[in-house]
Amino acid sequence: MSATAGRIGLSAAVIAVIVYLIFPVVVVVAISFSAGNFLRFPPPGLSLRWYETIANDPEWISALWVSVRVGAISAAIATLLGVPAAFALTRYIIPGKSLLSALILCALVTPPIVTALSTYLFFVPLGLVNTIIGLSCAHAVSGMPFVVINTAASLRSADRNLERAAIVHGAHPLWAVMRITLPIISPGIVIGAIFAFVHSTHELLVATFVLGGVGKPVAVKIWSGVQATTDPTIAAASTILIGLAILTFASATATQALAKRRSA
Amino acid sequence: MTALAPAMAAARPGLLSRPSTVPALLLLPCMIWIVFFFLLPLALMCWRSLASEGFSLAAYAVLFSSPLYGKVMGTTLKMASIATVCALVLAYPIAYVLTVAGGKLRGLILLFVLIPYWVDIIVRSFSWLIMLGDNGLINKTLIELGLLREPLPLLYNMFSVLIAMVQIVLPITIVTLFGAMLRIDRTLIAAAKIHGASEWQAFRTVFFPLSLPGVYGAGLLVFILAFGFYVTPALLGSPKETMIAQTIMIEASQLLDWAQASAAGAVLLAITTSIAAIYNRYFSLDRLWGGSEP
Repeated sequence: MSATAGRIGLSAAVIAVIVYLIFPVVVVVAISFSAGNFLRFPPPGLSLRWYETIANDPEWISALWVSVRVGAISAAIATLLGVPAAFALTRYIIPGKSLLSALILCALVTPPIVTALSTYLFFVPLGLVNTIIGLSCAHAVSGMPFVVINTAASLRSADRNLERAAIVHGAHPLWAVMRITLPIISPGIVIGAIFAFVHSTHELLVATFVLGGVGKPVAVKIWSGVQATTDPTIAAASTILIGLAILTFASATATQALAKRRSA
Repeated sequence: MTALAPAMAAARPGLLSRPSTVPALLLLPCMIWIVFFFLLPLALMCWRSLASEGFSLAAYAVLFSSPLYGKVMGTTLKMASIATVCALVLAYPIAYVLTVAGGKLRGLILLFVLIPYWVDIIVRSFSWLIMLGDNGLINKTLIELGLLREPLPLLYNMFSVLIAMVQIVLPITIVTLFGAMLRIDRTLIAAAKIHGASEWQAFRTVFFPLSLPGVYGAGLLVFILAFGFYVTPALLGSPKETMIAQTIMIEASQLLDWAQASAAGAVLLAITTSIAAIYNRYFSLDRLWGGSEP
């Protein structure tokens, strides 16, 4: 095989795979702005009518609000518990470390239906079914790996000597961690928290079992809509979810840029 | 091992002077949370699968004797395997290009790869529902081009489920493979080329064999994820493509047979946990926090 033919083939393969990855996203976003009544791509014309439908429907608004609250609470819990754990796992020699890290990552590789069923069975006697706090507690478990992984990555790349310098100059070690190390690794923590937030807003099965009745989050509402309706409202709701993800991601990137400028 | 631990010990006498206290205190809240909101519920589920009316293995007897479960398990295994192989084949060239590409190109490709990762699984499956229908984009284009007279039956079969499943697992496959390929010592490829190997020969005889452990690792991970799929087969498949997660869902939410659902859940958990354990054994999860380096 000649080198140029190989390169051309490789580039073609990469472009094809990227189109395959991106196209479904483009279709949904385009249809959400459709002027037509049906799910047709390309849309017959552009309008915002499906967004108006959502904005005027109290059920959609409340679903979005439930998702935002569950996402925020679960991401906050995951961050508060995950950051100290990341410190312990990156900075100390701990017996059984591989088991402990496996335990944290377990939630990522457990099938969602198993998590959902077991959480429901556990929550019924505790009275946590149909509560926002219940769903947030469950989502915090699956959000934690994202926080721990991202925090650990920042911790490893952060310059430890700044913290050591502060301690050498008489700072209390705890103070040095809080005032020197935490600000340096904060972009990593924020990205982890955002991943946890987005994961929570997308999660369907635990949400269906725990909060599937009244006051359901937006993923559950989209899922019941997808199986029933054929108008582009679902596409608009999905695009709002995508927008939410992009917005949180953009704010994270902005925070990161800001932190970089401050440290420079 | 760290500057922090001895300094802390000097500052505060007593309990904190023991070097293992600080990491234990840091880890404890997280571990308590996981035990309470994750492991305890899983244990309860396994218990419920045994204790419907007194202690019995009846639910498991049904599970292993009924033709329905056998068939669903077979389908799940088949779909997850095909999806894994397809994802690996499609991910490999992209991961390779990411490994050899320079900064800007790498950033751009990574951006494209990660965009779909931020989009809901329901939404991504739903998109194929729109594209693959009889009046969908693909059939309409093919008919307008005169290549077809009748629309192809693209929806509600194995093809539609697989095309969506692979699209969903592809970003994580690419990222995992890319991570593994970055660890390959590239000077070995340079050495092969200096000794007269062509680019293709260097790839085939040096890079590819070295990348295989990464391929197996990514394969295991993707297989676990694909095994538990619910949304995609439920939306894009026919009853023939029913996967195990759907059966558990029906068992629990429609038949309200909690013992049976729990038993199926326990078996599913056992399967994915054993594969995860194999993964952990050979591709240590520890690597995520930098392995043994402090």
